[in-house]
Amino acid sequence: MECRVLSIQSHVVRGYVGNKSATFPLQVLGFEVDSINSVQFSNHTGYGHWKGQVLTAEELNVLYEGIKLNNVNHYDYILTGYSRDISFLVTVVDIIKELKKANPSLVYVCDPVMGDQGAMYVPENLLPVYKNKVVPLADILTPNQFEAELLTGRKINTEEDAIEVMDLLHKMGPETVVLTSTDLPSKQGDQFLVALGSQKISKVSDGTNTDQKICMDIPKVDAVFVGTGDLFAALMLAWTHQHPKDLKTACEKTVSVMHHVIKRTITYANEMAGPGKRPTPAQLELRMVQSKADIENPAIVVEAKVLQKSSQ
Amino acid sequence: LTAMECRVLSIQSHVVRGYVGNKSASFPLQLLGFEVDSINSVQFSNHTGYSHWKGQVLTADELHVLYEGIKLNNVHHYDYVLTGYTRDTSFLEMVVDIVQELKRANPNLVYVCDPVLGDHGSMYVPQNLYPVYKNKVVPVADIITPNQFEAELLTGKNISTEKDAVEVMDLLHAMGPDTVVITSSDLPSRLGDRFLVSLGSQRHVRPDGSRTTQRVRLEVPKVDAVFVGTGDLFAAMLLAWTHHYPTDLKTACEKTFSVMHHVIQRTISYAHELAGPGRRPSPPQLELRMVQSKADIEDPAIVTEATVIS
Repeated sequence: MECRVLSIQSHVVRGYVGNKSATFPLQVLGFEVDSINSVQFSNHTGYGHWKGQVLTAEELNVLYEGIKLNNVNHYDYILTGYSRDISFLVTVVDIIKELKKANPSLVYVCDPVMGDQGAMYVPENLLPVYKNKVVPLADILTPNQFEAELLTGRKINTEEDAIEVMDLLHKMGPETVVLTSTDLPSKQGDQFLVALGSQKISKVSDGTNTDQKICMDIPKVDAVFVGTGDLFAALMLAWTHQHPKDLKTACEKTVSVMHHVIKRTITYANEMAGPGKRPTPAQLELRMVQSKADIENPAIVVEAKVLQKSSQ
Repeated sequence: LTAMECRVLSIQSHVVRGYVGNKSASFPLQLLGFEVDSINSVQFSNHTGYSHWKGQVLTADELHVLYEGIKLNNVHHYDYVLTGYTRDTSFLEMVVDIVQELKRANPNLVYVCDPVLGDHGSMYVPQNLYPVYKNKVVPVADIITPNQFEAELLTGKNISTEKDAVEVMDLLHAMGPDTVVITSSDLPSRLGDRFLVSLGSQRHVRPDGSRTTQRVRLEVPKVDAVFVGTGDLFAAMLLAWTHHYPTDLKTACEKTFSVMHHVIQRTISYAHELAGPGRRPSPPQLELRMVQSKADIEDPAIVTEATVIS
């Protein structure tokens, strides 16, 4: 497989967030991964302490220039995630525009990281940049409920609301939208959360339309993980690449890998912490390397339900 | 199956595109089950063999800040440290300080050091790195992977025969490392001039307290191309295979050299395909086919046999 991804995300010396979370799984699945590290920190910011350096928008530009000068600025995918800096995000947008000119088939996978559980955890002034510049360029978007509501200005209280919000997001740009988590009630009970996906592809070349909406009930886990969103976006990239018009299968594989990694992680973390003790952030680092087999060939543990499908 | 719990701290370059430094070392080690913590000493667009390259370097101070972060969280516990190409003496000295502190935290820590100084008779790092390697770095190293030029430079002795090579490796042992692999030499190969000679030496202490040295020699096929990042891959794979065969240098070297062979063969085939008939492949085309070599990295078919020499 000759598929080259440009991933612009954080680097941590220790642990699995950002590029550390995305790169290994994609490489294991055969993708060439070029990575620009937006920061280099000792570890993620959920630990007791963290230290390191950030890349400026100017330095990002310089790195891209190097790639361009060698005429190797040709990518099949771009992947971005957590960003805190407007000028950095704007420079990312410029780079993507240029890469899309170089390869009009390029697919931009964007995790529009802004917040969760009703609160923003990036500077507020990133919202207009995501809304007006980033999301319009994205082809695959992986917002959580809060981010989807922020981007569309609409609240999600029912499944119908979620479908309308995903359609609004399609209108803004991306053909594929996955609501990675919501607090909609699951038919399987309160140990589960509901995720939804929507794919709306209009092919001008042959006049076909694909409109598939799916939903999944995902087991909740009693722990705070960091880097799981980054892993999710990377896996969506990989599995939609394998199954470009089958969102159901792409999501089942993605969510199943997540499940295996998370289970392995929580088991190990609880072992390390000892009985009755809550694991620390260091102990809760994803068991990425140990999950290689699951990443390569995930046993499907979640079935996605097709809500509505129409193809002409 | 219990997972192997082995954590490596690798302090090397990062390139956006391609496979040198940490890009060359991390994926193979992760495939083999190692936890790899990586400090990127630089971030460049690509390696410096391309027509153009751009990027930023990490200062010794910034390196220290990153290490401080790890230490403050009390997670500065490593089984291995791995280092390679460096251009800056203050950076290198900071690395030595970090290695010494990590060894105090874990006296069993193994420091795998590729003492990158030059090749084919000339230095390609600043000259003032040489005394730092000789006096500070090599003495704390446990495994070193010099080429012939670097081995000669570090010991002040020339290698013209296998006997010279054995003496040089003994001199290197006396400086610190119990495991030495001379990754390439221009000694004449038994298999002819399409082969180069590599040698290895490992000192052990037997249960009864006596010392023994295992020495091996390998005839390695030459390849008509300039690769970048192969030394970094070599050091990483030697780390992995000596971990699995800590007292069997013969097997560790056979696996390491065999992985190199598979990756290089795959790379050269692909590069020639891309370049087209009769054309020399370019540096981008010669980037190691790392991701495509996953199966060979995980379980290398042995293609080179090491001879035990006395």
